[in-house]
Amino acid sequence: MSHLSAAVVLHDPESPAIDPPVAFPSEAGSRAAAADIVPATAPEEAPILSIDRLTVVFDRYGLEPKVALNEVELCIRRGEMVGLVGESGSGKTTLARAIMAAIPEPGRIESGEIVFDGKGLDDLPEEDRRSLLGRDLSMIVPNPRSELNPVLTVGDQIANVIRYHHNVPMKIARQRALDMLKAVSIPDPERRMKAYPHELSGGMAQRVVIAVALACSPRFVISDDATSGLDVTVQTQVLELMTALVRNQNASALFITRDIAITAHFCSRIIILYAGEVVEIADTAVFFDRPGHPYSIMLLTAFTHDPELRARWIAPEAELPEDCACAFAARCVRRQERCIVERPSLRRLSSGQQVRCHFPVEA
Amino acid sequence: MFRYLGRRLIFVVPQLLGITFISFFLVKLIPGDPAVLMLGPNATHEAVIELRSQLGLDQPVPKQFAIYLGNVLHGDLGKSWQTTRPVLEDLLERFPATLELVTLGLLLALCIGIPLGVAASMRKRGVVRKVSDYYGLLAGAVPDFWLALVLVFVFYSVLNIAPAPLGRLDLEVLQPDTITGSLLIDSLLAGDFAAFWSAASHLMLPVLTLGLTNAGPILKMTQSTMDRTLTSDFMRYAAMSGLPKHVLRRQAIRASLPSVITIVSVLFSFAIGGAVLVEIVFSWGGAGQYAVQGVLNADINPVLGFVLFSALLSLALYLLVDIAYFVLDPRTRGAS
Repeated sequence: MSHLSAAVVLHDPESPAIDPPVAFPSEAGSRAAAADIVPATAPEEAPILSIDRLTVVFDRYGLEPKVALNEVELCIRRGEMVGLVGESGSGKTTLARAIMAAIPEPGRIESGEIVFDGKGLDDLPEEDRRSLLGRDLSMIVPNPRSELNPVLTVGDQIANVIRYHHNVPMKIARQRALDMLKAVSIPDPERRMKAYPHELSGGMAQRVVIAVALACSPRFVISDDATSGLDVTVQTQVLELMTALVRNQNASALFITRDIAITAHFCSRIIILYAGEVVEIADTAVFFDRPGHPYSIMLLTAFTHDPELRARWIAPEAELPEDCACAFAARCVRRQERCIVERPSLRRLSSGQQVRCHFPVEA
Repeated sequence: MFRYLGRRLIFVVPQLLGITFISFFLVKLIPGDPAVLMLGPNATHEAVIELRSQLGLDQPVPKQFAIYLGNVLHGDLGKSWQTTRPVLEDLLERFPATLELVTLGLLLALCIGIPLGVAASMRKRGVVRKVSDYYGLLAGAVPDFWLALVLVFVFYSVLNIAPAPLGRLDLEVLQPDTITGSLLIDSLLAGDFAAFWSAASHLMLPVLTLGLTNAGPILKMTQSTMDRTLTSDFMRYAAMSGLPKHVLRRQAIRASLPSVITIVSVLFSFAIGGAVLVEIVFSWGGAGQYAVQGVLNADINPVLGFVLFSALLSLALYLLVDIAYFVLDPRTRGAS
């Protein structure tokens, strides 16, 4: 592993200029280097997926609807792998489900648009949209053992997707399913074809779900915290397999995760989601070099072995009004009066990333 | 699979023994002396005592049970003093009548309940959902004997489409030779289409009654299980994989089947005795009617015989259910 010397400068929130630079652990630095493997495609090409001010709310009986996603904007270029990071409840899964047209009740898209490959997903007739899902646009789910149908064999489940999307006879679909099982390196694939989900280990089931997602050579894959349930060693194997397959098929991917280290390894860009809002979009190298949003910095300091540094970026929870303009204000060490009254917009910093903050940390 | 079946069959013996034991002592708790009832109000005390010793009623109850059990093992279920015939013969004659009625009734209930439940579940905001909601309520609230009387009134008295509610065949039609006990099948086997037609028309109203009332719980169970299945992780995943709607529906039905089978088996074993009110309305002459007569007249042997028969039937039914589970759900198969 190459050792990147780039030091992450983490400023003191109170006196940004005086504080000496703090070296970020080399681990994160080397991961940032790995991200360089993925070349960014030409920007003039139309994006494979773009989301325009998407707002998703969950209706509540007798209460104001709960806003799960607030004017989320993002854009993913062809062949690009983008990491989406956020803590539990930040809206990661809701975003994935919104793209897949599978927001659970009573959630609904209130406004905004999701454009896939030049087509607005909401405008598509139901049948066209259905045939897009699983074929061009597929999702790798977490908890594969509850997401796979318990009464169908693994082989049939992979074959079903192939059969109905490519209109081929079951026999051919099964043959391709077997090829997929081989591609995801499942040992003894012939026997596994006839296995039921409950007979598989967690890592094996995860591979099956990857096989289902990639069976029709999709152009865009969402991985929703796909490896969070696995052992660390298996996790790396599965991730490497997944990225290799995605890259081989020349697909784009959105990596949703709570583990920021994963994105450092595999993604060219990182999107940070906080409380349903995109708070930072940055190229991976830039992000790990100089994160702009106080929340991003807080996330990164969580990995340091320097308790003092960590403590400096964690603000004591403050009693703020419910309708605080900036969602992060209550936990922010750089909070000022303006944060409570004026909602920050996503704006570009001199270092290249976009940050939703009035007082970002700038070089 | 066969080892599992064998194990299940071994358990049938103690289960039957337990059921016989409990029902024997419960029946003994019914007040009323059979000897007094058999001999009538004018019998002398001596005559009653003599009959009691003849019937073995003067023996202690555990000994009576031992004697009864011994007889049962020889295929002797005792005699009914009302019909003065062996209980076994009576039951073999009446049980098929009940079975035919209940089986057809539940088949009809399935034909109504499952499609309606599936349709209501697939479209949450539709006319079908409304209809099925009201139907479920109504079917739960309407007593079967009342519905039977209404049907008789409408289809026999007013419209004169159905035959009179007096048994399983028209009086002028000869009963075909008993082979299976089902009049429909037996008349077909005998090539007697007049008897077939007569049996079918007599079955119409009681089957309709049982079908309409039992469709309620089946409908509700199908609908709620389908609702739960459709929102389950794996169905959402299947939808996200872009599988067509008819495939989703099929998978959801498949996953809901075990619950439906369970409710049907419960309804079936309940209906064997529970259809008695319908049997009475249509003078069906079935096993339930026979047993109730026995209870009312302290005629112990028919009651015990009926309990044994229904217990055997229920056990066979639950065995079938377990086999169905075994086939439908790979998770119950254990390590293969």
